[in-house]
Amino acid sequence: MRKLLIVVQWALASVCVITLVTLPISLETQLVAGMCVLVAMMLLKLVRPDGIWRLVALAFGTAIVMRYVYWRTTSTLPPFNQLENFIPGFMLYLAEMYSVMMLALSLFVVALPLPSRPSRANSNDRMPTVDVFIPTYNEDPELLANTMAAARGMDYPAGKVTVWLLDDGGTLQKRNSDKIVDANNAERRHAQLQKLCADLGVNYLTRDRNEHAKAGNLNNGLSRSGGELVAVFDADHAPARDFLRETVGYFDEDPRLFLVQTPHFFLNPDPVERNLRTFEKMPSENEMFYGIIQRGLDKWNASFFCGSAAVLRRSALVETNGFSGVSITEDCETAIELHARGWHSVYVDKPLIAGLQPATFASFIGQRSRWAQGMMQILRFRFPPLKRGLSVPQRLCYMSSTLFWLFPFPRAIFLVAPLFYLFFDLQIFTASGGEFMAYTLTYMIVNLMMQNYLYGAFRWPWVSELYEYVQTVHLLPAVISVILNPRKPTFKVTAKDESIATSRLSEIARPFFVIFGILLLGVAMTVYKVYAEPFKADVTLVVGGWNLLNLIMAGCALGVVSERGERAATRRVKVHRRCDFEINGKWHQGTIEDVSAHGARTTVLGVQLEDLAKDARAGIRFKLFADGTEAVLPVTIRNFERTSDGIAVGCLYQASEAVHHRLVADLIFANSKQWEQFQLSRRGNPGLLRGTAWFLRMAIFQTYRGLVYFWRDMRGRTSMTAAQLAEKRQ
Amino acid sequence: MRAGLATLTLLLLGVTPACPQAGVSPFDMSTERPATAAPVAPPQQNSATPAQAASDAGKAARQAQSPARRYLVPFSELVLSGEYSRRAWSVFLTPEQAAAATDLHLGYQNAVVVAPEASRLELSVNGSSVIGIPIASSDRASEISVRIPAGVLHAGLNDIVMSAIQRHRTDCTIESTYELWTQIDPSRTFFTFEGNQAGLWKRVEDLRAIGVDETGETKFNLIVPSMGQAASTAPVVRLGEALALMANMPNQAFEVSETGSKAAGPGMANIVVAPAADLSKVLASVPANADAGPIATLIDDPTLGPSTLLVSGPNWQAVNLAIDDIAKQVDRPAGSLRTSLATRTWRTPDVPMLLDANTLKFSGLGVNTLEFSGRRVRTDFAVGVPSDFYAEAYGHATILLDAAYSQDVLPGSHIDVYVNDNIAATVPITTAGGEILRHLPIKVTMRHFRPGDNTIAIEAVLLTRADTVCAPGAASSDSKRFALFDSSEFVMPDFARIARTPDLGAISGTGFPYGRAQYALPLIMDRAQPEIVSAGVTLMARMSVAAGRLIAVDSSTAASAVADRNALFISAISQVPPAVLAQVGISSDSSSTWGETVSSIRPDTETTFDEWRQQLRGSGWRGQISSFEDWMRQTFNISASSLRVFPEPVALYKPQGNASLVVAQEASPTEGGTWTVITAPNASALLDGARALTAQETWRQLGGHVTTVETGGDKVQTVPVTRFDFVETQPFSLANYRLVVANWLSANALSYAVVLTLFSILLGLATAGLLGSLGRRK
Repeated sequence: MRKLLIVVQWALASVCVITLVTLPISLETQLVAGMCVLVAMMLLKLVRPDGIWRLVALAFGTAIVMRYVYWRTTSTLPPFNQLENFIPGFMLYLAEMYSVMMLALSLFVVALPLPSRPSRANSNDRMPTVDVFIPTYNEDPELLANTMAAARGMDYPAGKVTVWLLDDGGTLQKRNSDKIVDANNAERRHAQLQKLCADLGVNYLTRDRNEHAKAGNLNNGLSRSGGELVAVFDADHAPARDFLRETVGYFDEDPRLFLVQTPHFFLNPDPVERNLRTFEKMPSENEMFYGIIQRGLDKWNASFFCGSAAVLRRSALVETNGFSGVSITEDCETAIELHARGWHSVYVDKPLIAGLQPATFASFIGQRSRWAQGMMQILRFRFPPLKRGLSVPQRLCYMSSTLFWLFPFPRAIFLVAPLFYLFFDLQIFTASGGEFMAYTLTYMIVNLMMQNYLYGAFRWPWVSELYEYVQTVHLLPAVISVILNPRKPTFKVTAKDESIATSRLSEIARPFFVIFGILLLGVAMTVYKVYAEPFKADVTLVVGGWNLLNLIMAGCALGVVSERGERAATRRVKVHRRCDFEINGKWHQGTIEDVSAHGARTTVLGVQLEDLAKDARAGIRFKLFADGTEAVLPVTIRNFERTSDGIAVGCLYQASEAVHHRLVADLIFANSKQWEQFQLSRRGNPGLLRGTAWFLRMAIFQTYRGLVYFWRDMRGRTSMTAAQLAEKRQ
Repeated sequence: MRAGLATLTLLLLGVTPACPQAGVSPFDMSTERPATAAPVAPPQQNSATPAQAASDAGKAARQAQSPARRYLVPFSELVLSGEYSRRAWSVFLTPEQAAAATDLHLGYQNAVVVAPEASRLELSVNGSSVIGIPIASSDRASEISVRIPAGVLHAGLNDIVMSAIQRHRTDCTIESTYELWTQIDPSRTFFTFEGNQAGLWKRVEDLRAIGVDETGETKFNLIVPSMGQAASTAPVVRLGEALALMANMPNQAFEVSETGSKAAGPGMANIVVAPAADLSKVLASVPANADAGPIATLIDDPTLGPSTLLVSGPNWQAVNLAIDDIAKQVDRPAGSLRTSLATRTWRTPDVPMLLDANTLKFSGLGVNTLEFSGRRVRTDFAVGVPSDFYAEAYGHATILLDAAYSQDVLPGSHIDVYVNDNIAATVPITTAGGEILRHLPIKVTMRHFRPGDNTIAIEAVLLTRADTVCAPGAASSDSKRFALFDSSEFVMPDFARIARTPDLGAISGTGFPYGRAQYALPLIMDRAQPEIVSAGVTLMARMSVAAGRLIAVDSSTAASAVADRNALFISAISQVPPAVLAQVGISSDSSSTWGETVSSIRPDTETTFDEWRQQLRGSGWRGQISSFEDWMRQTFNISASSLRVFPEPVALYKPQGNASLVVAQEASPTEGGTWTVITAPNASALLDGARALTAQETWRQLGGHVTTVETGGDKVQTVPVTRFDFVETQPFSLANYRLVVANWLSANALSYAVVLTLFSILLGLATAGLLGSLGRRK
């Protein structure tokens, strides 16, 4: 009853606002109202940007956005009988309405995200039996060794957890391939992994045929195991020691719970972060999703499975015959199915695994293409808004998650729309300069402010736009192709262990330079038009300004596709652990300062510089978190220098036995707190103005860097052809 | 041609003596049948020359010497300006006039720069072209006379269209088109009807043919011998209203007197109204049937002349019945919707009244397809909106323009829309190479719409390369550059309808609220002074025309007994009760000071300051800031008043020395009524002021809370309404209220912001409550 009253109250308030917003008021009133709302939002931001006041500020923003929609719909569409204007104009309109709809959906999703749940590590939860699945296809044994070692190192009663390596690279089908080289490789991999698994105490499992890709592989694992719960880790996602302790307890609290999802934390930057050098200071792209959107989804019981770093209930999976494999994003699809059958999910907002991201721009795009295509397939085959069994909030949540991947269309339209006017004189948006200022400009600022309110600390201004733009160029064809042929895409494993030795342009960089060139022409055209056609200078300036914004974005993207050559691609994590350092058979006291997936940096006392040499073999002895025993990890010395505390030695792991992998895993993955601290260190809301200024500065620099790379590339190519010509002559 | 010249000379001979003579001789027409008493009838009177009277007596040939004359131009002046100009109106003719052989006379003069070989003046009557001549009369006025072919004219309204195409002799600039003009001389532009029957009125309806005098005015002399009787006022006002509606000329004046003058002429009528017993005071012979019952008839009186309208009966009740007979022909029942405003006598077609959403084709609005080869072309039409129109702050009408421009037209040209001569929209032409615009929507702000008729002009300003070069003769080139098609449409959206008090504009437009009242309107005026009664009848007649129906008045109510009814106070300021003055917002001490103050000779500081600011505008960076302010004002119409949440207090208005008439309106002290005070320093100033105010151009400027008319009658100032009450005129509907609220909030921008803020906070709180009870909670 009380609930009904509250709903009625809210409906009344909404009707009031909608009535007010759809009044056909004059331009001056709109301008005054817009300014007032902007000021109110800014003041709220300064004074109380949280709690009820955050919702009030969002209501302000919503009112202005709705006014924009009303005006845009009633006053700005080109007349229908001018088809050359109407068609592009209507497409632009649809693109804008899509953006508004996505804003509305995200408002719903993240209106009030659930706060993080308290840690359960020390609670006396029951410990059900768990099967840990690590599906693999073509990853290096070394990478797998770390993951398996970390999985084995999880703090859980020994008899209750079974780790399975599900190898799809060594299936019978692969080993009997007609291509002899492939067959040999598969055979070798099969043997090598079997040995490694035996050493680490992991069950090796493969199957006859590679059917249904990852979902099939997992289902094969399901059919061969019997634990109450199933934990899934990608090959490069190594869990922290407390992973199971933090997650399994929820299953006893709620018998209908099918999923506990945890965030994906990455040790290395994605190509955008790496090339723009923002990894250390700006929150990662996925932090917005795991830091706030999943929490928002969690409020509506709609947090979904992300393929890894999650625990699932076997009895739930049995209901759907395991993981669904219609789409190439089996994770989300499985979650929809189970949500629709009335199962629940929980999201634990604490990084409990650490993984790797694709290092090159091309593989980054490959990964995103898979996500986009998979989500399109889900939209096509499972259509969440009309899926039976889902609650209304869940439908909205899944709409938000799947429809998001249509963004390449509006992005592309926003990119080309100003060019219609600049190059072809088409009037696709009928508004005067004054109207543009009172409506569109206010709307854009309010939109940015709302984004800032929603995601402020997790996403800096304009970064979403940049990510969407760099993906759009290659995702647009991918999305179109999946819409035309929804069954065609196949699962492709994203390569994550590449490294870039030298600075170069990405192999898929060319379209970005073409677009940049066209937009630059657009700017030239703007200048020309302002002088040549002064009677419509106001419209030209507005459209030119829009084009300039696109150009800035495109310029920044040039930096993104200019890959920096870097040696240590993975993130170093600070650890501070006591150790003993062995050199030339002598033991010295020391501290491990920070570690990465490949090496560690230690401060050693009582050792002389002359004792050290590059590539010399050494050893580090330390106590394992897992069982308190001590062991020695062999390393080679990469570099060393004197510091105020002693001598800092950088070393590279030389893991040759299973126990060495356990040591490495214990060093890097044992303590999940350090990851959280690292994430917190780069969280912080620079605000709209500072953020915009920062972005602008970066965009200008990245444009310059991109053009330099481009020039080098051209020169390199011409010198190469010259060299080839010379060779031919000889 | 020779015949024409002959008529002209005769005519000139005839005109000059007419005036002195008119009042002099009591014609001895008694020998003839009244109907044949040619010379006297108002529309034709200057034919009553001595020469003609003589010839009549001698039964001489009654050809060209005694033509009855009907002036054609219902304006005080008529100037056809620009490269293209067109005026259309209608002239009412009696059956006798229509049947008579008719000559058309036209006098005009044009600017020196008009190139005769490329400029033409055309006049058509009922669609047949009557005059088509090159415009070539720059050094002195030309007169033309032509015989109208038989069968062109007919009884009733005859459409006259006058148009001019003018080209500059040497210049091709846009500016040069403003130098082009042709002035039509109203005093030399008329019909002459042959035969002495043509000038006479035989039926009461024939009064519709009253027409205008040589200055475009129409005058009714109401002769009321028993003016002093209280019972006379209401019937006289009512008769005046009925006659005004019947003739429906743009500038009508009423003179009420006990004896009347013998003045007669075109555009003038004598009307005697009295019970039979009083008739002998003014009439030489009293018709026998006046005693028997109500009569309204045209008589030929030796004293007052032929074609005198007599309205009489045994007593005032009978007179009233007689007046009702006349009124019946022109009155409109209270409940009937008004579909058009009767404007044909000065603008054809009648202006359609838009009471709600509507789409009108240009062809129906009197705009014809137009092809144009010059630089600047302007054409206009009119639409009417009701007095409770309340959309000026937010509303936009739309013109769906069908037009075309040739490949010669350069980008930078534009099509402008003016509403009542205020710019309301501009469509720049941005593409070269010619284009056909099909139903191009042009949003026209309704900011300048007023109750009543509104003129909407479309002006195309066309730039071409040829004009930049301006080779000799280029100005007259006739390659078509622009076409406007009559398939274009004017689209009126649904608009808010609620009346306000005070709003003088509503009186000007449709006589609101007096035209609608369920009871006789208390009219408080000093009956003893004929000037004031004349002013009262003139004003009431004008209001009736605006309202399109008779407004019943009650002249016996005392000022103190009005209470919450509507009321109209027409008096010299000294006679208006101070309480009433205070109620309508006129400073009460003005009754002693007004009229005596000499207009100050001190330089007006504010004006001088503005001039200086104007001069220094745009220079330096401070100038840039002020031009930004200007831009804000122009683009968004933002002013300090729209940023008010509460209306500013109304200051008492104090008439200035040079204002000769003040009209002020306010709500009655108790809810419900609307009081309007029309006052002047003294009775004669009031009559002059009322005449000036009721003239067509001045009347349409009546508006706001206070309107003043200055001496000379051409300077009108209004004090805008700052605080008003709503008066509901429509049955309750949410849709209407929504639009009313939209308009009010548009005019009070800050209020909108405040309400939006409050509602948003409410929504935010409600959302917080909702989110607290839905979904998972911590």
